[in-house]
Amino acid sequence: MIDTIVQILVDAVSLGGLYALTALGIGLIFGVMRLINFAHGDLITAAGYLVFLLAGQSVAVAILGALTVAIVLAVVTERVAFRPLRRADPATLLISSFALSVFLQKTLILFVSSRPKGVDFLPELQQQVTILQVHVQLLEIVTIAVTGVTLVGLSLFLKHTRFGLEMRAAAENFRVARLLGVRADRVIAQAFAISGALAAIVAILFTAQTGIVQPRMGLPLVVVAFVSTVIGGLGNLTGAALGGFLVGAISVLLQSLLPEDLRVFREALVFVAVIIVLLLRPQGLLPARGLRERI
Amino acid sequence: MGDLLRRLWPLMVLLLLVAAVTLLAWSGPIVLQRRATLGLIHLVAVVGLYVFVGNSGVLSFGNVGFMAVGAYVSALLTMRPAAKAMFLHLPAFLGDLQWPPIAGALAGGLAAALLALVSGLPLMRLSGISGSIGTFALLVIVNVVIGNWTAVTGGQQSLMGLPIYTNLWIAFGWAAVSIVIAFCYQESRSALALRASREDEAAAEASGVRIHRERLIAFVISGFLSGIAGVLYGHLLGTLRADSFYLDLTFLVIAMLVIGGKGSLTGAVLGTIVISAVTEFLRQLEAGMPLPFANLTLSAPAGLGDAVLALAMLLILLFRPDGIAGREIAWPFGRLTRPRD
Amino acid sequence: MTDRAALLTITDLAVRYGAIPALAGVDLTVGAGEMVSVVGPNGAGKTTLLAAVAGIVRPAAGAITFEGVSLVDCPIEAIVRRGISLVPEGRGVLASLTVLENLKLGATIRRDAAVKDDIEHYLEAFPILGARRHQPAGRLSGGEQQQLVIARALLANPKLLLLDEPSLGLAPTVIDQVYDLLQSLRGRGLSILLVEQNAARALRIADRSYVLNGGRVRLSGRRDEIIAHADFDAAYFGLAMDGRAAAS
Repeated sequence: MIDTIVQILVDAVSLGGLYALTALGIGLIFGVMRLINFAHGDLITAAGYLVFLLAGQSVAVAILGALTVAIVLAVVTERVAFRPLRRADPATLLISSFALSVFLQKTLILFVSSRPKGVDFLPELQQQVTILQVHVQLLEIVTIAVTGVTLVGLSLFLKHTRFGLEMRAAAENFRVARLLGVRADRVIAQAFAISGALAAIVAILFTAQTGIVQPRMGLPLVVVAFVSTVIGGLGNLTGAALGGFLVGAISVLLQSLLPEDLRVFREALVFVAVIIVLLLRPQGLLPARGLRERI
Repeated sequence: MGDLLRRLWPLMVLLLLVAAVTLLAWSGPIVLQRRATLGLIHLVAVVGLYVFVGNSGVLSFGNVGFMAVGAYVSALLTMRPAAKAMFLHLPAFLGDLQWPPIAGALAGGLAAALLALVSGLPLMRLSGISGSIGTFALLVIVNVVIGNWTAVTGGQQSLMGLPIYTNLWIAFGWAAVSIVIAFCYQESRSALALRASREDEAAAEASGVRIHRERLIAFVISGFLSGIAGVLYGHLLGTLRADSFYLDLTFLVIAMLVIGGKGSLTGAVLGTIVISAVTEFLRQLEAGMPLPFANLTLSAPAGLGDAVLALAMLLILLFRPDGIAGREIAWPFGRLTRPRD
Repeated sequence: MTDRAALLTITDLAVRYGAIPALAGVDLTVGAGEMVSVVGPNGAGKTTLLAAVAGIVRPAAGAITFEGVSLVDCPIEAIVRRGISLVPEGRGVLASLTVLENLKLGATIRRDAAVKDDIEHYLEAFPILGARRHQPAGRLSGGEQQQLVIARALLANPKLLLLDEPSLGLAPTVIDQVYDLLQSLRGRGLSILLVEQNAARALRIADRSYVLNGGRVRLSGRRDEIIAHADFDAAYFGLAMDGRAAAS
């Protein structure tokens, strides 16, 4: 009984962690630009493919490659696709990021086939370890640890560095931040770079978990990330992470509580649960102040 | 009278345009007719999407889910019982019946509209972006349910045996109906109120506009039309697969609307026609197109068409965000009646 | 303006929002060390004027020069670095950030070592801010927020301070405090361009004033002149000098 509970807990935190990290990547960019970046999923995919390409080399090289590609791609897409649209309304930004995402996917498919490819990355993490007489997968522990470290690191960066302060200011009120001299271009590029790093971290863990890369691998993660940011409260980073953990928990709980034949519908039920949460609290759990316009 | 004529002008032009395109296809080879039929089905879907997006200003990713619902409901109601028994495990009352196509089609549309109503109740209360994300969640829900409810839909397997009755003129008929419905709706007071809220939510609410209600109305009509599009689609192909109604089709429909102009019915129609023509051309290119006057065969790698379409959409959003036709076609001949003093 | 070199010179400025003209033919100067006010009713174009100087909106025509260099087409961040700080309408506190963080952001453009001391100085000079330094700025009252954003703007060591309706939404006693604060800023070599609906205070505190209405300057002059000016009411309320409604 205890081991089931611990297993569920570990699963929930591990999965929730991946969702939370992805949601943070989305949330950071939404904060400074009011843009929901569909292409974030393609950052994850790109990083995943780098892991696939470099898995044969050392682990460090693969990780470095994934980080580099994701960060570069993020910054480049901002410069080329989103900067010209900076003054556009949120609906146009949303459609644009969707179009960009499709473009990146289809272009990737032109170069690699659309078939999934197997990756043998960090297979040693697949083994079970025993903690407090409970068997858990080492990879899940690593995922939780990496998530924790990343969250703490990001938090420290935002609260205690100059760049972090500028980013928070820009997210709170972009114009006032600029009036104080915060450089818009730099802050936004920075947000994209960080979101690229987050995407890479998620891709590395996800690829190690699933052992597969395919052109749409980022999709299930970002779909959850989108709804997580909405449940958590658009514009609120803590809310985004919280939303990610919440969806992860709901997902894992449903997996263990649902009768066998309903388990295939788990994803759908998770989203139905999300919609119910939104019915009760349309503005999200932790709404950000400053999002509503002054009359 | 002159005023009525001016108001109906965009509708008449669009209907004539679509009729002209249909006639053109009718005079061509069967392959062309089939492509045009598909194009007309897309037109119904795009017009359906426009009814919501154009009037509310909120993007919906969920309309292809409505298409799926329409398609599968109509399939279940119109397939021969023997075919149903072969693939599905339905309760007797469902498995034994077989309705005529028109009943099945209307049922499909209404089922989709019902889903729009039920899902719209929570979703329409959300702000613009959150609402759009909510419709995305809806798309996923529909996709997962249809893809896994094997007893009713066949799940991941193709559902075969739908009566094939969608031909060029039936598709045209429904396309015309959908254009008329969309036009009449957008002239209604509800749509006007909704468009007012698009510009300034606070002002509209202060004027007594109940945004959620008006959005819901648009969403339900949009759901109905999308459901009809799904019905036509299913009865053109004769088989259904759950993953035909997911992201690729969503992107195509959104691209047609955005490139054509998401703010007007004219945009919806023009976008569909233009994109259908362009994708047709690109498809020929991917297959290899021999040039008649030179000894060359133009060809392109598979999947190029999709990438090009996405790029085109991005460029339109950058340089001409209102699309090809941001507004309805205006009566070009000046005043017909003297203004009242 | 012969005895002082003008720090800020605005010549024939026109700003349009789409087809709607917000400012037309505006001429204005602010000298070094001067306090200048611009008064006018709601919708006169006062905020637009400051927005044009700060780089938030692009002029349709006309010139804005600061220390002899044109500000037009300069991005907001660059204008701040030239020495112009704007305290926007509604104060513009970053509500979820603490008082201290708001102040630190005021010094964003500075890299010198004196920043910490300056911040401490303001925290002492404004005891309320010092006491609440770690509280979210959104919790401060209107008057306290006004102190915060003025201190924040001053931390950038600007040569020209732009203030958009500092008395807006504040109780009369609080307005007194704010204007005392503004008065205390004189004599520091700082130029101030102050925009107000509340004409009385602004006219009394400023060295020179302009009356803006319908996007145009209707009247201008030194303090004593303008307060006593016979046509002041007409200019402020949009009547032509002889009593008929002014053409726009």
